[in-house]
Amino acid sequence: MTEQINTLINACGEMEENLVLFHYGDLRGAERNAVQAHVNNCAGCTAYLKHLNTLLPLTRQVDNPPPEFWTHYNRELREKLDSVAEKKSWRQSFVDFFQPRWVPVLAMAAVFTLALTFTLGKGMWSNNDPAKEDVAIMELMPVAENLDFFASMDVLDDLDLLESMGSQGNAA
Amino acid sequence: MTRGDEDLVASARQGDRRAFEELVDRHERRAYHIAFDFTRNREDAKDLSQEAFLKAFINLKNFDGRSSFYTWFYRIIVNLCLDYKRRQKRAPADTFDERVENQVEPSHEPEKTRSPDQDVMARQISRAIGAALETLPARQRTAFVLKNHQGLSIKEIAELMETAEGTVKVHLHRAVTALRERLAEFA
Repeated sequence: MTEQINTLINACGEMEENLVLFHYGDLRGAERNAVQAHVNNCAGCTAYLKHLNTLLPLTRQVDNPPPEFWTHYNRELREKLDSVAEKKSWRQSFVDFFQPRWVPVLAMAAVFTLALTFTLGKGMWSNNDPAKEDVAIMELMPVAENLDFFASMDVLDDLDLLESMGSQGNAA
Repeated sequence: MTRGDEDLVASARQGDRRAFEELVDRHERRAYHIAFDFTRNREDAKDLSQEAFLKAFINLKNFDGRSSFYTWFYRIIVNLCLDYKRRQKRAPADTFDERVENQVEPSHEPEKTRSPDQDVMARQISRAIGAALETLPARQRTAFVLKNHQGLSIKEIAELMETAEGTVKVHLHRAVTALRERLAEFA
């Protein structure tokens, strides 16, 4: 065996690729004939080809599972397909809903709803909470409305003052 | 009359589940064997090939018919297998699964005629082949498996790998050269 490793047969370098194809029957016509003619006259290439013929079939591993394996294989695969088909149909109906033909319909519906909302719901959402500035103005309003009254009160205060000053003068 | 793949695909795209199941029946064994060639593990091969069918089922609407269903589907399975190999490389595991040795045998020899010595030899070969295949780069391994194990033509492999035929030939030649060196003792 060791001897064989050390004496690995070498074919003519430029022929090797074609010899591999020749081995697999992948050469046709003139190409095949040329390789065949070369092999007939070249000991190295003949030995190389022989080596391929012996070695390559060894690398094929055949697995022959028993019939039960295939029964189980088929049942399992069909179950998996069922499950995928179920998911697929659910997803499909969702996608179908958003098909191009539905887009204009949905857009129209959305525009119509918006128009109705603005028309019928006008003022519905107006803000009833007064702002801070509004609160201040509202507090001042009663004062502003009664300015005349406060002015007349001031006059009365002045009269009281004059009266007290007069009575102090008389006393003196 | 047997319906062609394309006919079945057309029906399946219309929602005919039975048509898709017919495609499954038609391709399941080959799909499994491709997955097995990559994984060398029965359970993983089953899972990967089933996953490929589920992917095909989900993405059938994206199949544009530019290539045959066969090419399109096997591209799915090969990509899944390559992903599996990448995941395996990231997660360190045994280089060769003991279970594989017990469930497969090299194709050149019928199982029942083997003596115990031959059995041991077959296991050694199987282990060495597994290890040698593991060392191949992904694209070389893909080209090799599809050619050597599945017998696809260079043109089919090129379509499947989405590459030029010349590139496939180079990958195949490099893979064979590497395997020759690593498995010289068995020839």
